[in-house]
Amino acid sequence: MERVATGIPGLDEMLSGGFLPQTANLVEGAPGTGKTTLGMQFIYHGIAVCGEPGLILTFEEFPQQYYDGAAGFGWDFRQMEREGKLRIVMTSPEVSKVDLEQVGGRIEGLVQEIGAKRILVDSLSHFERLSGSPSELRAVVYGFVNALKREGLTAVLTRESMALLGEAEDTDEALAFLVDSYILLRYVEIESAVHKALLALKMRGSNHDNGIRQFDITSRGIEVRAPFEGREGIMSGSPRRMMDSFVQAFVRR
Amino acid sequence: MEDMELDLTGRLMADMDPQLLEFLQSKVNSFVKWDLVNFFHDSPHTTDTAENIARYAGRGVETIRTELAELARDGVLEESRLGGMTVYSLASDPHVREMLDQFVKASDDRQFRVKAIYHIIRGMR
Repeated sequence: MERVATGIPGLDEMLSGGFLPQTANLVEGAPGTGKTTLGMQFIYHGIAVCGEPGLILTFEEFPQQYYDGAAGFGWDFRQMEREGKLRIVMTSPEVSKVDLEQVGGRIEGLVQEIGAKRILVDSLSHFERLSGSPSELRAVVYGFVNALKREGLTAVLTRESMALLGEAEDTDEALAFLVDSYILLRYVEIESAVHKALLALKMRGSNHDNGIRQFDITSRGIEVRAPFEGREGIMSGSPRRMMDSFVQAFVRR
Repeated sequence: MEDMELDLTGRLMADMDPQLLEFLQSKVNSFVKWDLVNFFHDSPHTTDTAENIARYAGRGVETIRTELAELARDGVLEESRLGGMTVYSLASDPHVREMLDQFVKASDDRQFRVKAIYHIIRGMR
């Protein structure tokens, strides 16, 4: 089956080679966990390695912030824009939604102009200001996601989670049903140090590794490492040694 | 005496590329417009409402609404209707984009900025 590789060592292996083409892939995590970096790496790999131009749709950060962020990993996004392989579009959810609904809108024009195959939408959380009603929000996001697929794009959609450590607060989980894959990024505290964990929670139409992996943000981007071993409760933010749980469960005091 | 000094300052300040001077005097003739053209230069694919552009520029919407409309009237921006919203984007005219690029690059030079500020203040009188 054809795959859209992210170029992230470890993650592509977890996803059996990458995302499925023309799918919407949600990456959720707390501030600083690496959502945008993961999305930028997906775009960079597409352009530099797979010959697939990309679009970045940003609802908050200025294009300069992406140029600077990418340059930190040695990815020259400015040059990619000059070569017509990348477009960074700063806009708002309400405008991009209506624009995509139109025939011959500006985003559609940019996709056709550069032959874009990939898109990073940073972030989906901004759609929440369009409606206070979860069902209405779901309909809005559903239409938006389908419009991206209609344009032949494979999308990484970021979403913020406010929980720094531990279980995320009660958010609208309905959005998770609208996407084809759902990746969670979490901070984890182990022995007084904060680590980062990645979990591919869902991948529609494909097998995937559902282990919880440690990952680092290096000078080359994100690198996903081996699963956390000998611990449980990783996604709670405060894992325990499995032996401790065993003792708690089985050893009488 | 005061008139002579003003005349001398005027001549010093007029020492600017004529095309850029014309662009400045006829199109970027306020500090808010200067902010806005900088924003669209750095984010050339933005299409958005006055409310959102005000947020990006860190200005009040009432402050920028007129300036956006004037930049559109003068051909620097394009104003259009999108699903009941009035939205602004950078003009697609390559000549306008080239002038804007030259203007923003020239603004990196302190001497140019001083002269540009002089002309804007003079135009506001």
